[in-house]
Amino acid sequence: MRQLVLAVALLGVIGATPAVAQRRPVRLPDKEPDFKAFNVPYNGLLTFVRLRYTPSRIGFGGGGGFFGGVNYNWDHDYPRADQHLMTILKELTSIGVRVDGTNILGADDPELFRYPVAYMAEPSYWTFTEREAKHLRNYLAKGGFIIFDDFADRQWWEFEAAIHKLLPDGRLVQLDATHPIFHSFFAIDTLDFRHPYWGQESVFFGMFEDNDPAKRLLVIVNFNNDIGESWEWSGTGFIPIDLTNRAFKLGVNYFVYALTH
Amino acid sequence: MAERLFELLFKYRPVVFARGDLVFASPWPLIVVLALGALALAIGVTAYRRTGAAMSARERGGLLGLRIGAVAVLVFCLTGPALRVTTVVPQQNFLGILVDDSRSMRVADGDGRTRGALATEMLAPAGPLMRALGERFKLRVFGFSETLGRADSVGALTFDGRRTDLTEALAAARRDLATVPLAGLVLVTDGADNAAGVLAEPLLALAADGVPVHVVGVGRETLTPDVELSRIGAPATVLEGTAVAVELAVRAAGYEGRRVPLQVEDEGRILARTEIRLPASGEPSTVRAHFVATEAGPRRVRFSIPLQDGELIAENNAVEALITVKRRTERILYFEGEPRFELKFLRRAVAEDKGVAVVTLLRTAEDKFLRLGVEDANELAAGFPRTRAELFRYRGLILGSVEASFFTHDQLQMLAEFVSVRGGGLLALGGRHAFAEGGWTETPLADVLPVMLERTARADTTPFFTEVTVELTPAGRDHPTLQVRSGAEASAARWDSLPALSTLNPVREVKAGASALLLGRGDGGPYVVLATQRYGRGRSVALPVQDSWIWQMHADIPPEDETHEAFWRQLLRHLLSDVPDPLDAAVSVDRVEPGRPLTLSAEVADSGYVRLNGADVQATVVDPAGGEHAVPLRWTVRHDGEYEATYEPSLAGRYEVRVTASQGGQSLGQATTYFEAGDVGAEFFGAGRQTGTLRRIAEETGGRYYTPANLRTLPEDVSFTESGATVVEHRDLWDMPVLLLTLVGLLSAEWIWRRHKGLA
Repeated sequence: MRQLVLAVALLGVIGATPAVAQRRPVRLPDKEPDFKAFNVPYNGLLTFVRLRYTPSRIGFGGGGGFFGGVNYNWDHDYPRADQHLMTILKELTSIGVRVDGTNILGADDPELFRYPVAYMAEPSYWTFTEREAKHLRNYLAKGGFIIFDDFADRQWWEFEAAIHKLLPDGRLVQLDATHPIFHSFFAIDTLDFRHPYWGQESVFFGMFEDNDPAKRLLVIVNFNNDIGESWEWSGTGFIPIDLTNRAFKLGVNYFVYALTH
Repeated sequence: MAERLFELLFKYRPVVFARGDLVFASPWPLIVVLALGALALAIGVTAYRRTGAAMSARERGGLLGLRIGAVAVLVFCLTGPALRVTTVVPQQNFLGILVDDSRSMRVADGDGRTRGALATEMLAPAGPLMRALGERFKLRVFGFSETLGRADSVGALTFDGRRTDLTEALAAARRDLATVPLAGLVLVTDGADNAAGVLAEPLLALAADGVPVHVVGVGRETLTPDVELSRIGAPATVLEGTAVAVELAVRAAGYEGRRVPLQVEDEGRILARTEIRLPASGEPSTVRAHFVATEAGPRRVRFSIPLQDGELIAENNAVEALITVKRRTERILYFEGEPRFELKFLRRAVAEDKGVAVVTLLRTAEDKFLRLGVEDANELAAGFPRTRAELFRYRGLILGSVEASFFTHDQLQMLAEFVSVRGGGLLALGGRHAFAEGGWTETPLADVLPVMLERTARADTTPFFTEVTVELTPAGRDHPTLQVRSGAEASAARWDSLPALSTLNPVREVKAGASALLLGRGDGGPYVVLATQRYGRGRSVALPVQDSWIWQMHADIPPEDETHEAFWRQLLRHLLSDVPDPLDAAVSVDRVEPGRPLTLSAEVADSGYVRLNGADVQATVVDPAGGEHAVPLRWTVRHDGEYEATYEPSLAGRYEVRVTASQGGQSLGQATTYFEAGDVGAEFFGAGRQTGTLRRIAEETGGRYYTPANLRTLPEDVSFTESGATVVEHRDLWDMPVLLLTLVGLLSAEWIWRRHKGLA
């Protein structure tokens, strides 16, 4: 009986991790939607770009679902998170922001290079081809900046394996609150964030150009965090206002940093 | 030939008519001559009236006219016409013979003989010319180059002078011969003056004295075959790492269309090498030599074209420039009204550039600013500068996407004065709040910008947006800012392949005096993409596109491509070129012959760039041996804040000029410049015969212009002068062959006509 309780408890813990929802066997549509049909053309304004990838696992339910209920993982919180952050940027900052649409772009899409900041959700499911890897390496080397968000706990290992496959020489460095990215617009003096659902203490990692902390960040990694979730539900009160505010502050700072460094 | 024919018909050469006055010296009184003429005429008229032959009135008039003409010629002869001319008294007058003794006379463009050899032969003491002149005059022979000196004969000249100063030569000859009866001067030269004297002064004085200067021009106008490279303009000072363009003039003859290398060297080290096409014979063409100034300090940069086969002058294939390359960090203020990628990539492009520091003030929200690259906590702490002293600290200013209404009226005026008074470089970037879209049309800055801003609001309220494919203009092709590859052709090819940008500012026109360097093809275009102009003491540049960073990020651009970095590095250097300091020092020439003067100058202003006239300005000239010479500079009075002094270097080598200025005991700064003393080699440049100058000398003094081929008449021509000891001669004209021919012609015509009518 005790073993059963332990087993159930174990199942409960496993079930509580974000990966469980995607493991159910599902019947996927024969053909993917034309994601680019949801995009807006380039006009020079700051446009939210969500990086699309081929997820290592796929299913129904979970954080995605905008595209016929299928959970592609990269689509978590789309499109509301993207739209809400852009609206906040427009309201609070002097940035020329595009609020009439956001973009979904694959790593192998040349159009990505017109948008030097991009957001990736659920990077623990991130896979890429060699061609996509080459594009992303060029993107980062030329001045691109990627925000990784919405993963926690054991998902780290999958993310870490992926990013080291992409950038074998890159070192992930834990950032503290003194880094300029946390002061580019709002002064964020402490990094005492927690995952909105699972409660793990958030950790912020960065990878620097030439692994030199004096140089610009190539990526920022919100580990044990899901600021996109807060952006998405900001209009509903589903997530407390304080948490939402802090998530927006991070988002605004990330974008201002990406535009200036 | 024409002169010979004239002499055959009119008995004398044209010069006699030009010099002489017409007089009538008939032995009979004029009334008698006229009466005889009238009688002859009356006989003729009566005879034609009485004739019974059938003639019309027109024929009668024609025959009568011929008769009148013949009588008129006879009457003219009977009046005793003569020319009254003034000629010299033999051996009573002096004649100065001035022979060019400069190195350009060594040019062998006279069928293998040098100009000097030709002059020596022409003026040999035993030769026909000198003998003929010697019969009439006492001769004084001079050689001249920089100065004039007596010579026993032309054979004693060495043709080794380093400069030709015609002004000084003529003035000195006039002084030297002022106390003797001077019949005139004979000037034998190629006219290749390189002293830039005011020739009008001695010419006016000689003309006033009545001393004619007869000029014998030697050498050919166009040296064939030859290639000559000369300098048009070169910057005196550049920032280390700057792409420099030096304008050179190439003049070539005999090698039309040949492709030759143009090499740039910095004291033996090759900086650049490009291929140029030699122009058509005698036509000057301008080429630009591009190189990057990589070594700091005074650099002697040499531009050269290899010696071609059979060239007449070897020394004119290379030209040099002394360029001071500064190693210092120039500060540019970049004010951006909105966080955007243009800011990020601009800063990134020049982040490694030690010569430029882009101090950034970014408006991230209303009244909220982010400062990047500031020197200390106080810099720009209060936002955009509010005083001139604060703004004028910067040498360049980049205005991003920020609306004109952000600034106070005084700040707008300051922006304009930053260029016009301070002499700074201003770059206006395109964007949502830039140019006309930012409300800049009616501001002082609209005058400063090199482009025209639209004055009428667009009827369509949707923001303008178009992608533009960028292309080089002819001016852009040669502009140093746009040399993004080594070599002009490689650069042009790179520009052809760059991806399109986009603009929110439909700027279509550049101002008169501005240069459009890049244009963009797009909807309703072309649009200006890059334009530049001088404005006041400074420079303004417009780049009305919003995303030059596409040249860095675009998918087709490899990560290692340096086009974007090179463009920005060079554009910012262009912005900073020639930006003055409160104290600037300069020299009139960067190379001078030892013993020749040059002008040291300084421009002095206070921190607000108000020119100061009462400053104490001192120069310390350090000679090549290390000796220091104090030279005080004086205010020129011509311009505010401009000080000058003259200095004569005595040693050959490089000189350093350190200038300090102070007022009321307070230092206004210091500046350093350089020059060199040595052989300038001026005689080998522009060494073709300057016929225009030589004709002018002759015409303005009443002399004549000759070439070695038509010297035969020189001795006689020189005799007709009113200067010196002279006598008046009368030269009869009644026996001119032309009169006899006219008389015979008229009478023959009348006789033939009469015979035709049965009257003879």
